[in-house]
Parts: sequence; C-alpha cells; structure tokens
Amino acid sequence: MTLDVFLLILRLLLIVLLYLFLMQVVIAITRDLRKTAAVSSDVGSHVPPIVGHLIVVDSGPSNTLPGTSFDLQPQTTIGRGPTNTIQLTDTFISGEHTRLWFRNGAWYVQDAGSTNGTFVNNQPARDPLAARPGDIIQVGFIRFKLAQ
Amino acid sequence: MARFSPGPVRRYRWKELGLFIIPFMILVLEMIQLPIAQYYQSKIQTNQLSIPFSTALLPSFRDLIPVFGLIAALVGMNILLSFFFSRSDQILLPLAGLMSGVGVLMALRLGPDVGDPILGIRQLVWVLLGLLICIATISGLRNLNWLQRYKYTWASLGILLVGLTIFNALRVKNLDSPTHDQLNFGPLKLQPSELLKIFIVIFFAAYLSENRDVLAEGNFRLGPLRLPPLRQLGPIMLMLAISLLLFLVIRELGLALLIYGIFLSMMYLGSGKLSYVIGGLLIFAALGFIGFKLFGYVQARFAAVTIDVVNWQNWTPAIQQFVRGPAFQIVQGVIALSSGGIIGAGFGLGHTGTFVPVAQSDMIFTALGEELGLTGLFAIIGIYLLIIYRGYRIAIEASNGFDQLLAAGLTSIFAIQALIIVAGNMKFLPLTGLPLPFLSYGGSSIIANYIIIGILLRISHNTAMERAGLA
Repeated sequence: MTLDVFLLILRLLLIVLLYLFLMQVVIAITRDLRKTAAVSSDVGSHVPPIVGHLIVVDSGPSNTLPGTSFDLQPQTTIGRGPTNTIQLTDTFISGEHTRLWFRNGAWYVQDAGSTNGTFVNNQPARDPLAARPGDIIQVGFIRFKLAQ
Repeated sequence: MARFSPGPVRRYRWKELGLFIIPFMILVLEMIQLPIAQYYQSKIQTNQLSIPFSTALLPSFRDLIPVFGLIAALVGMNILLSFFFSRSDQILLPLAGLMSGVGVLMALRLGPDVGDPILGIRQLVWVLLGLLICIATISGLRNLNWLQRYKYTWASLGILLVGLTIFNALRVKNLDSPTHDQLNFGPLKLQPSELLKIFIVIFFAAYLSENRDVLAEGNFRLGPLRLPPLRQLGPIMLMLAISLLLFLVIRELGLALLIYGIFLSMMYLGSGKLSYVIGGLLIFAALGFIGFKLFGYVQARFAAVTIDVVNWQNWTPAIQQFVRGPAFQIVQGVIALSSGGIIGAGFGLGHTGTFVPVAQSDMIFTALGEELGLTGLFAIIGIYLLIIYRGYRIAIEASNGFDQLLAAGLTSIFAIQALIIVAGNMKFLPLTGLPLPFLSYGGSSIIANYIIIGILLRISHNTAMERAGLA
C-alpha cells in the first residue's frame, strides 16, 4: 500500500465519521423532541391544575375587593401585563410583578423586578422565598393570604 | 433491599458521553494523520513518487498528547456537569467540543505555515481555559436575575470597552493593520469586541424583557411605521450609536454588522413585530449607503465582492492591480476553496497557510475548505446549525422572558457571526475581521464563546429544575 492510498482512506474515514456524528446528534434531538411532544400533549389535553389560591386580605389603594380569590397554577405570574396568569389593574403593580411556583410540596415566591416590591410575611422577596398556606404575600400594596 | 439509590448512575449524562465518542475518534484520527501528511508533503517536494506506507510512520503516543489533553478535559467537563448540573443540555457540549477540537488541530497544522510553531499549543491552552471559564460561568450564575438587575452595569462596561478600543485605535493610528482593535496587556492580546457583544446581549435582554409590553404596543407613529415611545427607545438608540461609532472611528465593519444584527433579531424576538425589523433594515440600508459614499475602505470591500475570479484571464490591468492590493486576501481565499474540490486535499495536505493571509483566524474557513473539501464544509455548517438550533430550543423552553431573550440573543451571536464571516470568506459579503466561532485562532474569541455556552447550559439547567419541581 502506498502512502497516498493510506491518506485517501483516512480522508474518507474522516468524512464518514463527521456525517455519522451529525446523524447521531439529529437522532438524539428527534428522540428528545418526541419525548417533549408526548409530555406537552399530556399537559395540553387538560388545563393546568389549580394547586392553590390567593385570597385578597387588604386591597390597598386598588379597587380589588377583599375576599376575592385567585386560582394559582403550578407556575403563576402576577402583573399588569396581558401575558400574566393573574392580571391586576392597579397602578402600583408593575408589568411583571411576582412569580410563584410550586415545587416539592412548597410554594416559592420571587419578585420579578417590580418597582414596589413583593413581600412574604413582610420580608422582601428579591430572591426566592418559601411560603406556606396561611402566609401573607404582599404584591405592591395589595396583601393576599396563601390558601390551599 | 428493594430500595437502591438510582441517583448518580441514572442522572449521569450518558447521552452527552455517547455523543462525545465520535468527536474523540475524529480528533485522534486527525492527530494521527497530521505527522504522516507532513512527511508525505516533504517527500512530494523531492519528486519521490509512490511512497510506501509503513507502520513506522504512525505517530507515537507522545505525539498525540495534545489531543488526549483536550479529550481528558472534555470528559472532565462531562463528569463535573453530571455531578453538579446534571439537568443542563447534553447536546451542546459535544458539538462545541468537536468544533474547538477541530480549531485546535487546524492551529496545530497551520502554525508552522504561518510562522508560529506553537500556535496550536497556545490555542489548546485557550480552549482548556475556556472550558474552565465555562464551568465557572455555570456555577457562578446561580441566579440569572443578577444579570438582569445590573443591566446598566453591563451596558456601562460595554461602553467602557468601546471607549478603550477607540482610545487604543487613536493611539495606534494605523487603522489598516489587522490588529488595530487589540488591547495589549503585557503578553496578552485582548480583543474587547468579543466581550462587548455579550454585554450588549445581556443589556438588550434585560431592557427588552422589562419594556416588552410598551414596545409591543408602539404608540409613536412615523408615517406608516409604528415606533416604540421615545423614552423606551433612548437606551436602545445609545447602543446603536456605539455600533455606528465602531464603524466610523475604528473601521470595524464586521462588529458593527454583528451588533446591528443582534439588535434587529432581539427587537423582533422581544416585540414580535415585523415592522421594527423592516424599519431597522431601511435605516441600515440608508446608513450603509452613507458609509459606502463616505469611506474608501467600505467601497474597496464591496468592490472585492464583484471580482469575477473564474474569468481571471479577462481581468483589466486595474482589476489586476486591485487583486494584488486590497482584494488579495479574498481572492486567494476563493482560490483555496476551489482547490479543495468535493472531498478536499486531506487534513494537513493543503497549502492555505502559505498563500492566504491570516489563514489561522479570519480566513480559517478557506483553510478548512481546502483540506476538508465541500463535504467537510457542509458538515461544519451542519454542526453550526445544530448548535444554533439547540440554543433557540433552550430559549423556547426557558421559563421567563429575560432567560428566553438572553438565550435567543446569545445564540443569535453565533448565528450572525458565523454567517457574516463565512459569507465574507466565500465572497458573498464584504470580508470583515470577525473570528469564526470556535474554529478561528484567538484567545478572546474562545473565552467569549465558552462564556456563552456556559450561560446557555445554566439557563437549560434552571429550566429543567423548575420543570422537575412540578412533576
């Protein structure tokens, strides 16, 4: 075997390996996509479960009535903007005000960069804070009680 | 004893490890081929035909150490990520690892040709450093809100970098030298533009995610176009002014194009309005025309695109003069690409390093084209597409607006940068001095790319953790 034949074999081997790698990645991606599609069709078939409620205790300067109950999904956002799960029309609420999520049986509350802040039992929630049913969550100047 | 912990074994990133196998084979194969190819070329020069193959030509284990070092580092990344960030994306790192491995091999191979024998080793050290910084980025960015909260800090750091670059360019005065945009700190040569683009994306992502609603409404009318209110437009215009400044003062055509491209794609992603993009493109066309009329260097770059290399016999003396001068690099690059043909000359068997200026960084695509051929280039572009696909997928799945815009913006950097420089190398667009992500030689570029990969992995990890908490 001469050297140029050997080099030609190496060259062809490289091309084969490159395309095998591309194929492997594409297969991995397709499998991944199928898995997510299965999960999301699972989720899409029914509305997100309601895992808690927020009950207005003190409506502050807003016109929300005390006692009003809002449903909480496992991932809930509160704010003035139209993309939020709970939309509040109060001038002291920012476009995206608060995020709440339910993980391992506990609620977590975090401010989403609002102007007037989010508080859990009067503690500012700039970083995620855990919350339990009965805790007072203050969004802007509106105070809620977390309930099951 | 029915209960056994499935933890470490099941959470191990097997998929990532599996995807690493073929890249490792490719890297070892190329490393074996390199000394044989060099031997072959030296023999060819002495007109010796039909050289017999013997196993003595195969390199010893010691010669393969650089590649084994890189492989060990990548496996180390796999183990570290499995233990600490097991849920982050598993496909991104094999893709990026293969690309930077090919980059290291190209630097090893081109080093002697461009008169810098330790180029490859330096590139290898940069990649190892980049992997370290990638890990540091993932562990450091525990909370991405931190990036969002200090958005004006990032913006001012970006402005500082631009100021430094401009100051340096004014000091150097020679704007035609290819390295006028580098900052020299002792032995280190830094390219501030590489970090600048990351700062700009973080700022845009934070700013747009906060003003999303206002921008989407667009209540400031200008003829048929609806623009966002001026108060929200201000900071964005400032960032655009920076890119224009780079274009005017230090002649960074590529960087200005990149920043403008990032701006347009992020505006579209943030607001979902095509009218902003069309308006932006119109402004861009107007600015580009003004720049074209004002600056000789822009005209020269565009003139290079119109050269017909195939009919070189019909060149007028003026064009011949032009090709020997400003258009030399691009024409030589096209010749290198064409000499590669379909399957290429073979790794280590081309001559791009000797006849294309700056083949190790700006023109690396032509060097790859000569040695790997059209099939190799298609594979490389395919890998880029998969990296970009993965990045946008991470963006789609992210849980809040800032993470989404950040991931999409950072991925857009890869996409736009690769597009501009590849098109430049192939004479579709004016050639600019941007590095090809992962493949070009250059420390700043490698570090910046691995910071981006780190942030993307972190975002995917955070998203998966939030998802898992719900299940």
